[in-house]
Amino acid sequence: MKNHRATFETIYSDNYGRVLRLCLGYVKGDTELAKDLTQEVFVKVWENLNSFRNESAIATWIYRITVNTCLLQLRNKRYLTGTEALEKKTATEEETPFSNENRLAQMYACINKLNEESKGIILLELEGLPQKEIAAIMGLSHQAVRVRIHRIKNSLTKCVQHELL
Amino acid sequence: MNSFEELKSQWKGQPVTSAPKDGVQSIFDRIKVIRNDQKITNSILWTTVAVLVLFFVYVSAYRSQIAMTGLFMMIGSVLIRIIVELLSIRNLGKMDVALEASKFKELFRKYYQKRKIIHFGLTPLVIMVYCAGFISLLPLFKATLSSGFYTYIVVSSIVVLLVLGVFIARQIQKELTVLRALNQEVRE
Repeated sequence: MKNHRATFETIYSDNYGRVLRLCLGYVKGDTELAKDLTQEVFVKVWENLNSFRNESAIATWIYRITVNTCLLQLRNKRYLTGTEALEKKTATEEETPFSNENRLAQMYACINKLNEESKGIILLELEGLPQKEIAAIMGLSHQAVRVRIHRIKNSLTKCVQHELL
Repeated sequence: MNSFEELKSQWKGQPVTSAPKDGVQSIFDRIKVIRNDQKITNSILWTTVAVLVLFFVYVSAYRSQIAMTGLFMMIGSVLIRIIVELLSIRNLGKMDVALEASKFKELFRKYYQKRKIIHFGLTPLVIMVYCAGFISLLPLFKATLSSGFYTYIVVSSIVVLLVLGVFIARQIQKELTVLRALNQEVRE
């Protein structure tokens, strides 16, 4: 049990940042909601740790749990509507539309327009994961992921440019 | 001016958030809360069952065929609905979140399809059986209770039924929205 907990602590500290960043993408950049969602992800990591079989890298396994936990949040209205923090942030930055923060806020807004699967794919791509790994997480063929990424990249870039103009 | 690669580098340039020091403990606290919630739900269910059985005995419902049938219909229908709901929650909790996302999404979608059967098949049936049980008890209430209390029971039960109806309708609407979103994903 102690060993189990020590393993979990290592997994937690090694992966917290990337899980949080992915969750931020699902809740339009709302940090507080993303932290709550991250906590839900690690609750599930703990509950499923015994079933991890080393068939994939631990990071791939955690990304799967993250993407699926974020999908489960479709049930929770709080995660779908709570974006006051983001709106406030955007409103105060009207004078510097090309600031990094503003561009990030626009990215979150544009990512939010995508469907859940596309959201997952592009967030993993933004994290810099190889397409093969994204395919393994999403359960799609490598070819399908390649085509989807190309399409989403274009629409995301256009959307961010349009939102900033 | 905003190529995807630029967006990507901005994304990666976000400040790195390290894990909070008490993070692991907060996870275990959360797990404790979840387990306590489950225990509380189970306790409420069994207390409800006990109260209903005690009420059944207290009013000597077993002496009258009409009372027994009416109460049995009311208690039985509510109990069946509660048990189905608990099983449904348990099935959702048992879903393997470590599956590939596309397989998980399909499981999640099927879960909501089944919920549709519960909402549009079982729930109306439960409400009908419950109301039929209640209506069958009305002559008995009229004969044994004061007219004031009888009126109170009739009016309050109608109000409760209406409030419950609105609550159930909202819940169904919420779940249908999720199902629509999942079906939309499948089509896209």
